[in-house]
Amino acid sequence: MAPEPADVLIVGAGASGGVVALRLARAGFRVVCLEQGDWHDRAEYRGAELDWELTMRKQWSTSPNVRGLPEDYPLDETAAAVSPLMFNGVGGSMLIFAGAWPRMLPSDFRVRSLDGIADDWPLTYDELLPFYERSDRDIGVSGMGGDPAYPPGGEDPPLPPLPLGPGGLKVARAHTKLGWHWWPEPNAILSAPYDGRRACVQRGTCQQGCNEGAKASTDLTHWPKAIGLGARLITGARVRRIETNTAGLATGATWLDRDGHEHFEAAKVVVLAANAIGSTRLLLLSGGPAHPDGLANTSGLVGKRLMMHPFANVGGLFDEDLESWQGQFGCSIESFEFYETDERRGFVRGAKWGLAPTFGPINAALPSRAGTQVWGADHHLHVRAHLGRGANWGLFGEDLPDEANRVVLSQTLTDSSGIAAPEVHYQVSENSRRMLDFHIEKATQSLVEAGAYKVEVDRLMRYSGWHLLGTARMGDDPRTSVLDRWNRTHDVANLYVVDGSSFVTSAGVNPTSSICALALRAADHMVETRFDQQVPV
Amino acid sequence: MSGQPVIPDDPLAGIDADARATFTAVAGHLIPAAYGMPSAGDVVGDARLAFVLRSRPDLREPLIAALRLGMGDDPAERVAALDRDEPANHAALIQVVVFAYYTDRGVRDLLDYPGQVAKQLYSWKVPDFIEEGLTDQVLARGPVWRDPATGRRAVVR
Repeated sequence: MAPEPADVLIVGAGASGGVVALRLARAGFRVVCLEQGDWHDRAEYRGAELDWELTMRKQWSTSPNVRGLPEDYPLDETAAAVSPLMFNGVGGSMLIFAGAWPRMLPSDFRVRSLDGIADDWPLTYDELLPFYERSDRDIGVSGMGGDPAYPPGGEDPPLPPLPLGPGGLKVARAHTKLGWHWWPEPNAILSAPYDGRRACVQRGTCQQGCNEGAKASTDLTHWPKAIGLGARLITGARVRRIETNTAGLATGATWLDRDGHEHFEAAKVVVLAANAIGSTRLLLLSGGPAHPDGLANTSGLVGKRLMMHPFANVGGLFDEDLESWQGQFGCSIESFEFYETDERRGFVRGAKWGLAPTFGPINAALPSRAGTQVWGADHHLHVRAHLGRGANWGLFGEDLPDEANRVVLSQTLTDSSGIAAPEVHYQVSENSRRMLDFHIEKATQSLVEAGAYKVEVDRLMRYSGWHLLGTARMGDDPRTSVLDRWNRTHDVANLYVVDGSSFVTSAGVNPTSSICALALRAADHMVETRFDQQVPV
Repeated sequence: MSGQPVIPDDPLAGIDADARATFTAVAGHLIPAAYGMPSAGDVVGDARLAFVLRSRPDLREPLIAALRLGMGDDPAERVAALDRDEPANHAALIQVVVFAYYTDRGVRDLLDYPGQVAKQLYSWKVPDFIEEGLTDQVLARGPVWRDPATGRRAVVR
């Protein structure tokens, strides 16, 4: 007798997969998740070890192409100006994300109406607000309410803000003098013990896994609870396609185990949560006679409109010790002073700034991302000038959707299972270039006002594709969108995509907070409509 | 983690005496003794080099290639040639020198760098920026967000 199909099959155990799994498990759904990576123990992370700055460049790189692990799939990024970054494992890319947790702003949902470009979202900031607040409680967010960059009201973050650190305080004072906005950055990092997890110890190694478990990732915040409620999480499970029946409904997924053996997991509903490249790849891999261009792709938009947030780093050097290798990474402070459109600047939309630590001596000694390298006797002066004496503004510019920026299946590159790898096409727009030029100039002014004697700029960093968005946008019109306003595909009534693929526009903020809020909203809808949900017979 | 390069029993296997001497010369050329800091050629012993290659076994083969005979005795010329013609081998050589030098305790002590240490947070204390009234001044300037209803900076009454 065939096993009973899962109520919901989730592909990917990262941020959005964890959120959906826990919500549905709490509602009594029989949840199964297929994750191609593994669980990782905090003891594996290298942040507290001598080899931290060695392994962050290989084994714990944020680039799957650099790591090259069997559970990773390679990316053909020959035609991409920015390298996509991700991690495959329980907790997903949250294991290696910085932890910054800002929300989108009200104008981000109305880009077409306000600026005459791109598109509006089919929902508003006010609609998403309750899900941000619920998600913040599950995650354990540290921050300070009342930020005038957002509408007043709503809940404060559950925990007080993390420290600004000496550099953050300097720059905050400078912004006070300039009359510019700044605020303590909200972070998915605990400033105090919370929900059985320990507080941050300011080690500054968040992007290579948190040794304390203070930085949120769903392997800590969601999966143990979901599993405790009966969810089944299968690791080492690489999905090769979503199967459908003659009625056009998803019936489950075919997947390969670590030994290459093929399995089929039957399900009433399938949820893709494999990031905006991984989920797109699966939809494109799941084509057939009834849908030759890929599953859920009658709009032709699956894989298109990839957005990755063009990023610049503006670093100030100070003539005093700021111990800037320490602190959450994450950010200490943020600024939305130049976030909203001002057409006099020569571009539309804007960028959020986040102030971050500066790593240790090896980062100071090796050639910079901009290619600066100093050897010989002056090497020592160079290292002393950089180690612990910097403050870095990271500038995330809003990336406008462009159908030419897209993910397709490679005709030549495959993963270790022989499945076609994604081929990424991505160029930076003229609007983005002008935007970054403007923001680099303003961030330089900020750091000089703070006392920096020198400012160094890494413009348009290649390894900055942390934010993967937009490849299956949501919308009300099936002709111009892949997903409806509840993250369900227009074409397949029991197929959802809950990761960053759904983003209509990218906003200019770190997106994981919004991805989790949207996933929670989608899961709530699945629960509310469970008795109306079409499922395969 | 799974899938890492195989770590040989002896990470220095394949690095013979000539290659080892070349490494010392290149390390001393890149990071010489100056400004109170020692030379990398003096600091990096076999144990430190083995530590690096055990942590990063992927660097072993390109390092051996970068140290091969037949590139002359001048470390400056070797580094320049690698930089020009063999960027992967050049990058590996540079990284091994830097990794080995800056994981040495004596070097770290001279830089007053204790490593990424754990520090206790006191989140119940009122932060300095509150005491200084810095956020009060941000609030006094009013909303920064753009109201979708008007398209202009919000006004909160």
